[in-house]
Formats: sequence, structure tokens, C-alpha cells
Amino acid sequence: MRAFNAELSKLFSLPGMWLAFLIGAFAPAAIAALDSIAEKEEIIAGVSIRLSEVGYIGLGLGVQGIIILGVLAVSSEYLTESSESGGGNQITTSLTVVSSRFHFLLAKAGAVTVTSALLSIVAILATVSATNLILGEYAPAFEASRLIGVVCYWTFTALLAFGITVLTKNGMIPLTVLIINSSVVTVSYLLTKVTKLAFYLPDRAGTDMLMSGGFHTPFTGGLIMFAWVAVLFIIADIVFDRRDVAS
Amino acid sequence: MLLYNENHNRKEVLWLLTINNLVKHRGKQEILSGVSFKARPGRVTGFLGPNGAGKSSTLRILLGLDRATSGSALINGVPFAELQNPLATVGAALDGFGAHRMRTGRAHLRWIARAAGLSRSRVEEVLEIVDLTKVAGKRVGNYSLGMGRRLGMAAALLGDPKILVLDEPVNGLDPEGIRWIRTFLRERAASGKTVLLSSHLMGELAETVDDVVIINHGKVVAEGTLEEVIGNHATLEEAFFALTSEHAGDAV
Repeated sequence: MRAFNAELSKLFSLPGMWLAFLIGAFAPAAIAALDSIAEKEEIIAGVSIRLSEVGYIGLGLGVQGIIILGVLAVSSEYLTESSESGGGNQITTSLTVVSSRFHFLLAKAGAVTVTSALLSIVAILATVSATNLILGEYAPAFEASRLIGVVCYWTFTALLAFGITVLTKNGMIPLTVLIINSSVVTVSYLLTKVTKLAFYLPDRAGTDMLMSGGFHTPFTGGLIMFAWVAVLFIIADIVFDRRDVAS
Repeated sequence: MLLYNENHNRKEVLWLLTINNLVKHRGKQEILSGVSFKARPGRVTGFLGPNGAGKSSTLRILLGLDRATSGSALINGVPFAELQNPLATVGAALDGFGAHRMRTGRAHLRWIARAAGLSRSRVEEVLEIVDLTKVAGKRVGNYSLGMGRRLGMAAALLGDPKILVLDEPVNGLDPEGIRWIRTFLRERAASGKTVLLSSHLMGELAETVDDVVIINHGKVVAEGTLEEVIGNHATLEEAFFALTSEHAGDAV
């Protein structure tokens, strides 16, 4: 519990995290607002085919903030100080404060989980308010089950980013790959054109929790994504436990 | 291994560091080839050697940061990973500041305090001890080398540990800082605590340490009290060069 408190304290005292919070909390609402404005006339005329997606698009794309959070939680530990200060890093301090590496990793993952779940709730509230403000009585009804899907999707995405960064130690690779994959070019989406197996990739399966008419039911989609998170955490823990901090 | 101090009426647990036959390979290189020594309570032990001799590797294994290929490094009989409350047992300051440059000094110490269940007032106390109170609200990235080293010391002292392990503590300190750390470490030892520090600066150490361990090319070449290690040489520095150059000669 103490280690968990310490990890929360670390997250909130890092300026880069506030960028993650800002993007995570408000980007989805902004996207949803733009989308609502664009679709407004068709929705009012009753001819929009995208009514059920309004809002969720923003919440799907808003994971960028959460990716930054998951990556930064780990990469900040490995950020090397300038050479004139001796080239140390924070991870040496972290591991001399908490003696069990497993507890350290668990505490950090716990802090990331709680923070991303809270952040997704803030994002949902902002998004629902934004759509209601613009579409008024025409705003789509947000179903509780899909909103829970959003919370899970965000949290699992943060944990995937976290786990990958434990393996790479450096934030640049996971940050670039994950952000591009979730915004510009979705590799897993392209792969679904080639093989059905791609629907079992974590981000594909995960989006089925919030988008209607997916390959999996929302529950199965969530389960598949969670399985990815669990396996990645186990691998990350094994690697982290055996690793020399100096190497 | 628990020892009891016979000089005291009440039985007091002593805080001992035991390094036993440590071997460490990194790739094909052998960094440590059977390092053994002890650091005892109530004494300042100086762990000396040229750069690259294996000092930091030994300390990192002792603190559970790196794994030994074989051998053991024990804190009061147990490896670091088995310590219940590490911060109250061992305070460590290794290379660099050990802090993220975007955090303030105070925020850095506060998360450490949280991890050990210590109060915020303890953070202010250690800031006062190392004389960083005035700059505690500044980001660590703006600290000078001396200030960063003192922040590392503050972190090591937070839990008021029985044992201090310091890697090159006088590096980057100004003469006043060196004098301060010397007095401070002498006081810690006088109150029965264990202090192990590494250094490649002989002159600074001769006045601080009680016991000396000299390491060269991953092997301990001398161990004993300061007087024993100096032996017939005029100074610790001369003894050090005599011992380390002999071994350098052997290796060729």
C-alpha cells in the first residue's frame, strides 16, 4: 500500500503527466463536439448512419493521453541524468526504497490502473456533456455497458503501454508505435483485411467493448484484451526481476 | 548473522554488512572475481580502488540492484530483497542524483517518504540536515552537482537507517561539503551505526575512515584497519598505489 501511494505521488508530481491528463480528459470531448457539429443536420433529419458512434469515436481516439501516462510511468524511471551529474537514474532510488521488485511493479501498475480509470470517467463525463450540449434532445443515449467498456479499454491500453515500456526501458519506441497505431495508421485494422486472427489483437478486441457490431461481443472483446494485459505483465515481471539495473 | 555488543548491558543487535566471495560476469568480462569483506557497526569502512575496479558493482549487488553471478552480499544476514523496511535499514546514495530532473527536490523526497510510511515533516528535517531547504522547491534539473549529491544524501537519511552505503560521496562536493560529510559520517559511526563508502580519492578518505578495503581488478588486495593497511608506507595514498600497481604488474 505504501509503495502504491508512492507511485501515485510520483505520477502526480511529474509535469509530463499533466499533458497526459489534459489530452486524456479533454481531447475526447473536443473530438466528439466536432463530430456532433458535423453530423448534426443529418442526425436531426434522422438520416445519420453514425448516430450510435457519436461520442465513442472521441473516446476511442482519446486513448493517446492514456498511452502517454502508461509509458511515462515507466520511462521516467529510466531517464538518464546529465553526464555531469553522474548519469544516474531514478530507478536505483526506487528499488532501494522498495525491496521487492514484484511489489514495485505491482504498485506502479496499480497506480496506472487507478489513474487511467479515473481519467476515463472524467473523459466520459466531458464527452457526454459536450454531445448533449450540441445535439440537445437528439443526442444519442449512452449505454452504461458501453461506457464501462470505455473505462476498461482505457485502463487496459494504459497497462499495455506500461508493460511494453518495462521491456524497452525507453519511452520513445512504445510511444511512437502506440500513438501512430491508435490514430494515424491502425496496423491491426489493416491486418483484419488479411486474416481473421487480427481480430484477436488487443486493440481490435478492445474496441469491440465500445463500438457496436464488432467481431466479438463486448464482453469477449474485453476478456481478450485483458488476457493480453495479463500475459504482458507476467513477461514484464519476469524480465524486470532478472534484469541488472545497471545494464 | 546477528552479533551482540558485549560492551552494552542490554543486548543490542549489530548491523553488519557481509560480502562473501562475490563473482560478477558481464558478458565475457569478469568484473568481480571473489570479493569478500565486512563492514562493521560503529566504524566507517572505506572501500577504495581505481575507477573500474569493481566498487560500484559490489555496492549495487549489495543493494539488490544487480545480481551476482555467485557469492553473496548480506545485510545483517539477509539479502537486500528480503529486508522488511529497507529505508529504515539501509540508506543508499549511488552515482548521480537518483532523481527525475523535472521533479522538485521536495517532491522527490516526498514520494520516497510515502514509500516508507514517513511523515512530510521528516522530509523537511532531512532537507534541513543537508542544507537544501532553500532550493527544495526547484526542479532537480536545475541543481548543481553538489546540490544533487546532497539530495541523494537526504534520500539516504530519510529513514534514519542503521547502515549507510555511499558511492563516491565526496565527488562533486566543494571543500566545505567534504568537511561536512566527513564530520557527519564520523558522528554516524560514533553513534554505533555502520557506514560503508566507496572512493577513489585517498587523501579525502584517510581522515574519515576506520577500516579500509582496497579493491583492484575485481579482487580485494588489502583489508584491515587504517593503520594496518598503511603499514610501513608514509600515507594511505602511498599504500594504495603500492598495492594497486603491484597487482597491475601481475596482470600484465
